[in-house]
This record gives sequence, structure tokens and C-alpha cells, in this order.
Amino acid sequence: MSVDAVLSVEGLAVRYGPRTVLDGVSFDVPRGTVFALLGRNGTGKSSLVRCALGQQKPTRGATRLFGEDAWASRPRAMARIGVVPEEPDAPPDMTAAELLAFCAPLYETWDDAAARARLERSAVPLRAPFGTLSKGQKGAVMLALALAAAPELLILDDPTLGLDAVARRALYDELIGDLADRGTTALVTTHDLDGIEPIADRVAVLHGSRLVANEGLDALKARFRRVRCTGMAGPTSWEPFEPIATVEKDWGREAVVTNFTEERRAAFVARAGGSDVEVAALSLEEIFLALVGTAGARS
Amino acid sequence: MLRIDPRDALPIWKQIEDGLRRMVGTGGLRPGRPVPSVRDLARELRVNPMTVSKAYQRLAEAGVLVVRRGEGTFVADGPPPLTRAERTRTMREAAARYVSLAVTMGVSRDEAASEVASAWDGTLRSREGER
Repeated sequence: MSVDAVLSVEGLAVRYGPRTVLDGVSFDVPRGTVFALLGRNGTGKSSLVRCALGQQKPTRGATRLFGEDAWASRPRAMARIGVVPEEPDAPPDMTAAELLAFCAPLYETWDDAAARARLERSAVPLRAPFGTLSKGQKGAVMLALALAAAPELLILDDPTLGLDAVARRALYDELIGDLADRGTTALVTTHDLDGIEPIADRVAVLHGSRLVANEGLDALKARFRRVRCTGMAGPTSWEPFEPIATVEKDWGREAVVTNFTEERRAAFVARAGGSDVEVAALSLEEIFLALVGTAGARS
Repeated sequence: MLRIDPRDALPIWKQIEDGLRRMVGTGGLRPGRPVPSVRDLARELRVNPMTVSKAYQRLAEAGVLVVRRGEGTFVADGPPPLTRAERTRTMREAAARYVSLAVTMGVSRDEAASEVASAWDGTLRSREGER
């Protein structure tokens, strides 16, 4: 693992009976980064998060928090981590005010005023039982509780799931504010790729129980392009590009290439002869679709 | 107005850098005036504050913005003090980007040159208008 990794995942494998969910997954979350962990439903994101939190013992491999084994050092590490779980899991009859009062003495770094200010901005009633709050309000309470302790690592497990546009915006506002104030390290699993794209600086993609990408977002976006060849006779191969998600149509063909550079573009255009070559950059969502193999379903 | 486009081939920090440079160039951001704080601009654009910070840092190094400790970040009073070599390099890079875009779209050399001329006139006009 690298020296300044807050979380290190090393050769992680998780099996449930005969079913392999994760197989040899390794990555580091360096301090100060926003790390987006992406994957379709059922690709092991939640298992990975549980292993990272020391809540689940992996079949093989290990996860390290602040350099220590997560499974063995869970109680110590938990004081330095803020978690917003996929399903808000506070007792339904406790109010937000009672939850703050309950959590405050557990953390030396607790900032009660900041937590109350966050709840006020998200219009969460302090005296209403947690169970009666809306999905967005519950998420806001969990985030306020997580951030109040100024955690060294913030883990957000699909934080925008089921939120409307207003609640989603409020959540990103709070996250961005905390990033600006503290340079927080965050691990985020999400399906809201358009929302996380401008915030994440590293991206890992889980597919078929393995990582199919793990790199800086700028680097990922620099090497992926959609290349389209139209016209009569095109080149017979995509060389020197490495294509995935290739499509053949009457008008020509297109592919998402994973090793784009301006030099390779020039070499490809030179080989393309009479056909027109169009090159387009891709959003994170388009890259994700190409990587997990559903680009063909695009209309 | 600063906009970012995730489908643009340029990284977001570069889009912010270019956008602010353009706003200074067209007079939309006047010399000596403050620019938004990193935190405020990050929230407005919904981007990572580090990304805004990187753009500001590069613009400060280029002399487009000045950082006054404890006060904030401001548009520099004069044009950025570039060396001749830096100015040439910056212009060439921007020209190469523009030309490769034009070539990709099958635009002719004359058409591309005339777009530059009309953008030049438009920019000068909007600067006059601001004054």
C-alpha cells in the first residue's frame, strides 16, 4: 500500500457459498481524494464497503484503515470515520436532536454547532422522530452526524439513492462545503455518475467481481474517446487504438477506444483513407457504460 | 457566466481556467475586482473545490489573478506580465487546439480564419461596451 493511503484494499475476495462477489480487488484511497467506486447493482460494492468498515471478514485478502487491518482494529478506526449508509439506520423513535446528543460524547472532535447548522440548511425538524422524516431528511441527518465528528475518512454508500433533485443538490452542497473546509478524504459509491463526475478525482469500476478501471478521473477521461468512421472503405482494423464496445452500422462503424492520444489519432486518420473520422470525448457515464458492456443498448 | 461541460475533452480545471481567462479578456471580470471564493465557485459549479483551486493557482501564476492574503483573490490590475516566449507558446497552443477542432469538423482554412477575425471584433466590441 502507498504511504499516505487512508484506506487500502489488498487482494480482496468475497464469496457467498459458490458465488464469487469480489475476486482479487486491490486499490488505495489516498488522503485528500474523493474516490468514486462504481459498479452495477450486485457487483459487490456494498460487500466491499462492509469489508472496508471491518463489518465483514473477507474470504481472502484484507482492507486496511489508516494502515491497520480493518477487521482487527474496527473500534479504533471507527472514531476516525464518518459513514452514511445506503439505508439510513438510526432508531426510528429518536429525534435529530436526541441523535446529536447521543453521538456527541462519543467523539473528541464533535462540532455540535456545525451539525445543527447543517440540519437547519436542509430544513430538518430537530424534534420530529427519525422514522417520520422524508428520505432526503434522513440522508441529511446521517450526513450531519457523519460530518460533525470531522472524520478523516467519509464513506458515502449510494448517498443520492431515492433523493429528489433538491435533496441531491443539498447533499452535494454539504459535501463540497466540507471538502473546501477540511480537504476531506471520501469514498463514494453511487449510480449518480453525472453528479459525482465533477467532484470525484479518482474512479474505480467494479465489473464481473474485478476492477476494470482504477485511476485518476482526468487520466481516465483523457484516454477514452468515441471514434466514428463514416464513408465508403474504412480501415479494416482499429489499430493503433484499442477498441471496446464496437458497433457496425450501414453508415460505417464506431468504437469506444481506451488508449486515445493525439498521436494515435493522427496515425489512425492516416490509415483511414477515404472515410471520415470523428472523435468525441465521453462523460463518465458514457465511459462507465462502455466499460460494463452495455454500450450496445444505446439508441 | 462560467459553464463547465463534462463532455468537453478538456479537464474541468482547464475549462474553469480558460473560462475565467476569457471573462477577463472580454472585460466581464474587470481589473482589480474580486473573484468568487474557491468554496463559493465550487458550490455554484458543483465541482470539487480542489479543481477550482488548481485553476485559480494557475491563473495566479500566469499573472491573470492576484491573491491577497486574508482578503481574497482578485483580477490583476494590468495585463499579465508574460515574457515574449511565454506569450508565443500560449498563443501557439491555443491556435493548435482551435485548428485541430476546425480540421476535425472539416472546416476550411478560410472559414477558420474568418471565425478568428469575427471573434476578435466581437471581443473588442464587448470590451468597449463594458467601459
